[in-house]
Amino acid sequence: MSNVIKLESPLNYFHGSFNKSSAPERLFNDQIDCDLVIKEAPLSAHLNLRGNADDSHFCSAVAKVLAVALPLQPGTYQRNANTSIYWLGPSEWLIVQEGGDAAAIEARLRESLEGHISIVDVSGGQTCINLRGVAVATVLKKSSIYDFEGWAAATPNSGRVAQTPFAKASAAVSNRSDGSYDLVIRRSFADYLAQWLLDAGAEFGVRIEQG
Amino acid sequence: MSSNRESPNQVRPNQERPNRLPTHTGTAIDFTFNGVALQGIAGDTLASALLANGVNVVGRSFKYGRPRGIFGHGAEEPNGIIQLGSGAGTVPNLKATQVELYQGLEASSVNGWPSVNFDVMGLVGAFGRLMPPGFYYKTFMYPKKLWMTYEHFIRKAAGLGATPVEADPDSYDKLNQHCDVLVVGAGPAGLVAAREAARTGARVIIADEQSEFGGSLLASKQSIDGLLATDWVASLATELKAYSNVQLLPRSTVFGYYDHNFLTILERRTDHLGLTSAHQVRQRIHRVRAAQVVLATGAFERPLVFAHNDIPGVMLASSVSTYVNRYGVAPGNKLVLFTTNDNAYQTALDWHQTGREVVAVIDTRADPSGDIVAAVKALGIDVIAGHGLIEAQGRKRVKRALIAPINKAGTEVSGAVRALDCDLIACSGGWSPAVHLSSHTGAKPIWDESIVGFRPGKSIQQERSAGACRGTFDLAGCLAEGASAGAVAASLSGYGEGNRQFPVCAVEEFAEQPQQALFLVPHTKSTSRAPSQFVDFQLDVSASAIELAVREGFESVEHVKRYTALGFGTDQGKLGNINGMAILANALEQSIAETGTTIFRPSYTPTTFGAIAGRDVNNLFDPERYTAMHRWHQERGAEFENVGQWKRPWFFPQQGETMQDAVNREGLAVRNSVGILDATTLGKIDIQGPDAAEFITRMYSNSYLKLAPGKCRYGVMLKEDGMIFDDGVCACLGENHYLMFTTTGGAAGVLAWLELWQQTEWPDLQVYFTSVTDHWTTATVTGPNARKVIAKVCSDIELSNENFAFMDWRDGTVAGVKARIFRISFTGELSYEVNVPAHYGRHVWEALMAAGEEFNITPYGTETMHVLRAEKGFIIVGQDTDGSMTPADMNMDWVVGKNKTFSFIGKRSLQRSDMLRQNRKQLVGLKTLQAETVLPEGAQIVFDDKQAIPMSMQGHVTSSYYSASLGHSIALAVVKGGHSRLGQIVHCPLADGRSIAAEIVSSVFYDPQGERHHV
Repeated sequence: MSNVIKLESPLNYFHGSFNKSSAPERLFNDQIDCDLVIKEAPLSAHLNLRGNADDSHFCSAVAKVLAVALPLQPGTYQRNANTSIYWLGPSEWLIVQEGGDAAAIEARLRESLEGHISIVDVSGGQTCINLRGVAVATVLKKSSIYDFEGWAAATPNSGRVAQTPFAKASAAVSNRSDGSYDLVIRRSFADYLAQWLLDAGAEFGVRIEQG
Repeated sequence: MSSNRESPNQVRPNQERPNRLPTHTGTAIDFTFNGVALQGIAGDTLASALLANGVNVVGRSFKYGRPRGIFGHGAEEPNGIIQLGSGAGTVPNLKATQVELYQGLEASSVNGWPSVNFDVMGLVGAFGRLMPPGFYYKTFMYPKKLWMTYEHFIRKAAGLGATPVEADPDSYDKLNQHCDVLVVGAGPAGLVAAREAARTGARVIIADEQSEFGGSLLASKQSIDGLLATDWVASLATELKAYSNVQLLPRSTVFGYYDHNFLTILERRTDHLGLTSAHQVRQRIHRVRAAQVVLATGAFERPLVFAHNDIPGVMLASSVSTYVNRYGVAPGNKLVLFTTNDNAYQTALDWHQTGREVVAVIDTRADPSGDIVAAVKALGIDVIAGHGLIEAQGRKRVKRALIAPINKAGTEVSGAVRALDCDLIACSGGWSPAVHLSSHTGAKPIWDESIVGFRPGKSIQQERSAGACRGTFDLAGCLAEGASAGAVAASLSGYGEGNRQFPVCAVEEFAEQPQQALFLVPHTKSTSRAPSQFVDFQLDVSASAIELAVREGFESVEHVKRYTALGFGTDQGKLGNINGMAILANALEQSIAETGTTIFRPSYTPTTFGAIAGRDVNNLFDPERYTAMHRWHQERGAEFENVGQWKRPWFFPQQGETMQDAVNREGLAVRNSVGILDATTLGKIDIQGPDAAEFITRMYSNSYLKLAPGKCRYGVMLKEDGMIFDDGVCACLGENHYLMFTTTGGAAGVLAWLELWQQTEWPDLQVYFTSVTDHWTTATVTGPNARKVIAKVCSDIELSNENFAFMDWRDGTVAGVKARIFRISFTGELSYEVNVPAHYGRHVWEALMAAGEEFNITPYGTETMHVLRAEKGFIIVGQDTDGSMTPADMNMDWVVGKNKTFSFIGKRSLQRSDMLRQNRKQLVGLKTLQAETVLPEGAQIVFDDKQAIPMSMQGHVTSSYYSASLGHSIALAVVKGGHSRLGQIVHCPLADGRSIAAEIVSSVFYDPQGERHHV
């Protein structure tokens, strides 16, 4: 038995995949000019947080532990360095920390928070992918009925987020200040969504990269 | 008739294109029609190219097989219905007037067998009078059983094109669009509406079905703001393109207008380039949510209904002008123009410009005196007023027109008939606004005598009509209305003040005198005796047919439509409807307003199935959900089963094994050594909060108030009606913290159910739910050797039965990964369900496989899982239950907590009289008398199989398998009063005549004391 622990991200089997309907077959991935580039973020800590937004202690304690303000405005997120908090509902948030340790974050939060709260490690169940390139807006229109064009531009520390049907699965879609979009997708739907994006992006050229 | 002399196939060789005007040049494009090579010019439609080549007959009519030629120039075309291409990409029933010509285009007529020029059905045409409306129903009605035979031949003879039999090689998709102002139609009104809205900064989409913007202006010689109309259009289109907030969609038909200002547009992206396009999206549906809509869809010219008005060579006046002005095609030599209005006189002017002869203008009005009439007369053209063109003559081409004086009311011929030689008749009965999209919204069109047409009804949605589709036919009026509509729509969506910002366009046009409303041109004979006066060309509905329908008792316009088939063709009555309704109104002796119109529905023009399907086809038809071990299963050659959207391994066949072989082997491995199952797909819900235990206890039929951390309990969830809805194990993870397992298919429904009760009924209970189904990957290691396997990969849990008993769970480390292990068993054997975060799933699975190698650990699938649990009598919700089963029916009274302090969902219902009835269907085991015979699932159970049919059915088989461990078949069934019938013999009569006898036994076949999983 090997002692090496192999991790597989949800898009593990798609890293390096590409599709371009007009590309000659002999070209390799990195030689193809793609107007849609999908990059899967490195494995990160994802935690689902529930609590009372009207409880100022709750809000300030979360902000203190994570060094990110808890977004209270519906449909927004806050970011600081490698940590983001996405508003998912009036009493529900998603915490994503790149390279973070979910158990450690949970422990620190539990230490600071009081009363009726819920913290759940969902790191294994989802992944974050970034979509960039000139075809992004069109591919989002192919995939979702949500009006992402209607959003105000993001800043480096905040932006908009929407949990919405995406193709026939779902995603939490957020905008980045560089014009790209982040999607948090569920693991069990990742294969379907990767195939969907490879198909929907084929006319523009699309590839999937490992982050 | 030199240009239209008849050759055997009516199509001319390449070099001869008699109707192309010498002034019109361009790149030559080769194409074929009905197998004959022809040539057009870039910019042609198939229709204009056929006319340029002097092709008269393009199809045969639906019922009588009469020869038909091109009649219109757009969506209204009833005759030029063609099949494009062949093979996988072939498209039936396109209108030649809407098909852009491309190099190598192949087209053929959809109607007419064996050829359009000799149609066997044409013989029927000679007896047209014998085929009244409802003919098929009346004639082929009896004997009833032959209807299917009749229908087959009727449809074959009628011919409506052929669908491709191969898979569609093209790709299609959909775009979801949002805009502030959607402008439908890029004619004069639409263009200025878009410009006004664009200026305000609103997000604007402007869509038009033609290949280029301009609408009617593309065929106009008028001037706007000092520019030729086409140049004005080009400059405006350039201006619109410069706005970043405007999307221009040519070749895009808005085909449906639905609730909440949701509209659908079919964009044809590559159809004009060739039959198939491997690299691009061929067609795209835009699903538009628009804050405001401007409808600028224009109007259709109304044909005049006279005898034999369907002979090739009879066309709409505006169509003749369009072919001349836009395509450089003069579709004939000697024109007779027949009109009820000033507007059509433009066609005489346009035709005169070509240098070909205008024989005469026949005007039904007694004293036409407008400026344009004078302009025509000034050219020396003979204007014959107070006359009707009562009949066209010719067979495959018009040879002459019969004209006669008619009375002022237009109801009868009032003088001698004379003939005019001609080969082209252009006719105009005025214009009908295209109110289709407004009608889609439910707004009922309103008849307006002043425009002799239906105007759009009062707006129901956020829309307004502008220009000709609103009944405003003069250019200046269209431009004014369009600009105003664009500004108002933008303002209502939050942009601008609602005032137009661009100056009024200067246009030159003739002021028009009133038209005459004339829907049926009188003949010397009565309508029923006169040669057919066609109202709907595509389906051969004549004026006499409508009058006959009235005589036979039909009164409602909707009934007459269905009886006569008026407006049923692929043109949806765009040409014929108004005339038909007016003729109906006259026959009913009531007004058109009283008669009303039929309701227009989507699609405005036919839409391909490919576009509707989009990219939700093949592997993307429905999501396939995979577990972290999916690739491993694939590599092991697993067969998969769909469970909800999940792909679960069904069984793992080895070389040469049948499914039964594999299932036998897998099951025996579990019973005798150890097996491993991917159980990831079970729903998992994390529950936290001070009231979590109380809440869970209200949801399940049993109690969780005393469940200690480290312990698990099996529960059944009921709906309010007391029926089993889901089942699973719930574990106490810590104080106020639980993990609930659900069935694979029930996961989403259970989470929604929990949220529903918490949010709407018990918001006072403090509890939060979070789905962790995807977070955890579960590998179930089960069998007598399971503990030995786990021991090899887990050193930090004391695995002895004393320390880690059945229905306990422990945290620990498995193969170096933090894991949570549950001692839950769905097989009846010693079982460990190993849960790890999914990223580690495959690693841990492979480590367990390696650890189990010495015990020949055997991966098994859902089929073996089903057999093993059935051996134990464990139910599967949804298979052994069907929404009408209570815990008592399942012999599971033990799972109902009768002494809970608070009620639980479904409790009250369990006490209803029907629930306590003795002969409810109850779960039992069945053992066939012949050990090898496996009952079919779903088989009905009777107590006496010798009774007369229909037999008294007493139950049915819910699960049935061959059990290798037991050496005989086993089944679970629900039988009326089954719990008190142990030992009785029942029968399952099958559809194939066999009847299988079985004994009612306990539903627990294997290890009834439950000793094996407690070790």
